[in-house]
Amino acid sequence: MSQLQGNFDDFGMDTITMAGPLSAKLRAIREAGFSQVMLSARDLVGHADGWHAAVAEVQASGLRVTGFQVLRDFEGLSGHLHEYKIDIAKSMLEMCAALDCRVLLVCSSTSTHASADLDAIARDLRKLAMLAVPLNIKVAFEGLSWGRTINEFTTAWDVVCRADVPNLGLGFDSFHMVASQTSLDDLDMLDPRKIFLVQLADFMWTEVRSFEERMTTARHFRVFPGEGVHSDALAELVIRLDKLGYRGDYSFEVFNDDYQQIPLEAVADRARRSAVWLGEEVLRRSVPLPNAMRLRGREQLRG
Amino acid sequence: MNTSANREHLSDASNPLGLEGIEFIEYATTKPQALGQVLEMMGFRPVARHRSREVLLYRQGGMNVVINAHVSHHPRALQPTERPVITAIALRVRDAAAAYRHALDRGAWAVPTHVEVMELNIPAIHGVGASRIYFVDRHHEFSIYDVDFTRIPTVDANPPAIHGLHWFGVVQYIGNDRLEDWTEFYAQLFGFAALPDEQRFGILHKGRVLKSPCGTFFLQLIEPEPGIVEIEGEESLQRVAFGTPDVTAAVAALRARGMSFVESASMHTSERGALTQTQLGAVMFELVRQAS
Repeated sequence: MSQLQGNFDDFGMDTITMAGPLSAKLRAIREAGFSQVMLSARDLVGHADGWHAAVAEVQASGLRVTGFQVLRDFEGLSGHLHEYKIDIAKSMLEMCAALDCRVLLVCSSTSTHASADLDAIARDLRKLAMLAVPLNIKVAFEGLSWGRTINEFTTAWDVVCRADVPNLGLGFDSFHMVASQTSLDDLDMLDPRKIFLVQLADFMWTEVRSFEERMTTARHFRVFPGEGVHSDALAELVIRLDKLGYRGDYSFEVFNDDYQQIPLEAVADRARRSAVWLGEEVLRRSVPLPNAMRLRGREQLRG
Repeated sequence: MNTSANREHLSDASNPLGLEGIEFIEYATTKPQALGQVLEMMGFRPVARHRSREVLLYRQGGMNVVINAHVSHHPRALQPTERPVITAIALRVRDAAAAYRHALDRGAWAVPTHVEVMELNIPAIHGVGASRIYFVDRHHEFSIYDVDFTRIPTVDANPPAIHGLHWFGVVQYIGNDRLEDWTEFYAQLFGFAALPDEQRFGILHKGRVLKSPCGTFFLQLIEPEPGIVEIEGEESLQRVAFGTPDVTAAVAALRARGMSFVESASMHTSERGALTQTQLGAVMFELVRQAS
């Protein structure tokens, strides 16, 4: 059990970091001591025995599903394009619900066919959130740093506020904040109850100026927090989110080509080191007492 | 209600669907006779049968209750169980097609319907749990039941209501921390508005009460009891409530028909309201004082 010691229950891995079949990923994540996993739609639909078999595998793993990703280029479309994306969204919501997963990640549109009108974007996100209500799913909206209209969390937050529905909130990815060099002070404008997911990743270069450079870095060269050159910024981010009152999950959104070709256990071990660093050194969480009960989430949020 | 607004179909921002009340409530069960007996104790009478399916129509005053025992052969269709469950609320609207489109535009899930020959296609959206919400606009000139149902001969098709019983509302159980989600859902799609916490009816005051935009009925959302352990509360339509101008007289009349009511120190029949004991392991009805 020694491997399970350490307080990093709020941190989870993402299946996109590792190669191999879903079952092997789940096993590696669990054996590294994590209690949650962020899943992609591909994990389900790409399963050899079909997506229902994938859902059963996830449930048998005992891992909680942090979130389900990712609905792309959804907002701002009209006519048949809008109808088409609504159908895609419904399929993703159904898979998300089958996993008992409470968070669907939606990233801001890169499409040149999409409207830049923030109120139109808010209206579409409100509709998506209403589709998610009967399935008990929250929609986490994330501003990609190469998004066409929304490429910073500040604008994503503006749209979330305009939509003003309880189950639409922010998906916060540290990579995009660091890449777009958005000020940490802007975090203070956020309502911590409306941050539905925080994804963390570091990277090796100091700056990524162009959208192309950001995309390439984001998709191939991310590393776990503490492994890159932005450790200080990440530590400060996590501390500030904690001070702000955020008590939700942190998921390691690490796309890395090298991690796709080393053993899964080695990748999970790196993730674990990162989680222990953040949980114990940065947030200074103490190891919980055995059998300690946790009070319901709402009270924690107020605290 | 032949008001000028109805005649001209003026759009009403506070009532975007042109809601006009509840047309029927549907229960599903594999034991329709048992539920029928319970409904009869509550003053309902069987008045018609569905043409092609095992579906019965019960009526009392202006209230219709449909008991559905039809086993569907469509994949993924929900099958009735022995325990009766409320599977649908049918809403009266000005224009069913328009109401359906409005709801879909705002983020409702369409329910594909499977209509047999010569039956009406009643548009439906998904509600809480496995339940549905139907939109019905054929309640002025003729009734949907004239098409899909055949009357049971020799019975009064319009049995009178006991002490003015009428639809008061529906109680929905919701999961933890789901109050705002469902409040928003009913506001966005239908135009329901939350009542202030001080404004409550009957004897069961928990949760939040939403008023329909037509002002004729209520939805009450109730979360699980607060607890230490995280338990996901099941979400469902839990019970219906009837309004009556005289609760005490209505309770006496229903007792005489064989219905029993909860009478405990914490909850008992009063002038304000009453609650029946649970029937068939799942069915209960609430009475609330309200003028007809």
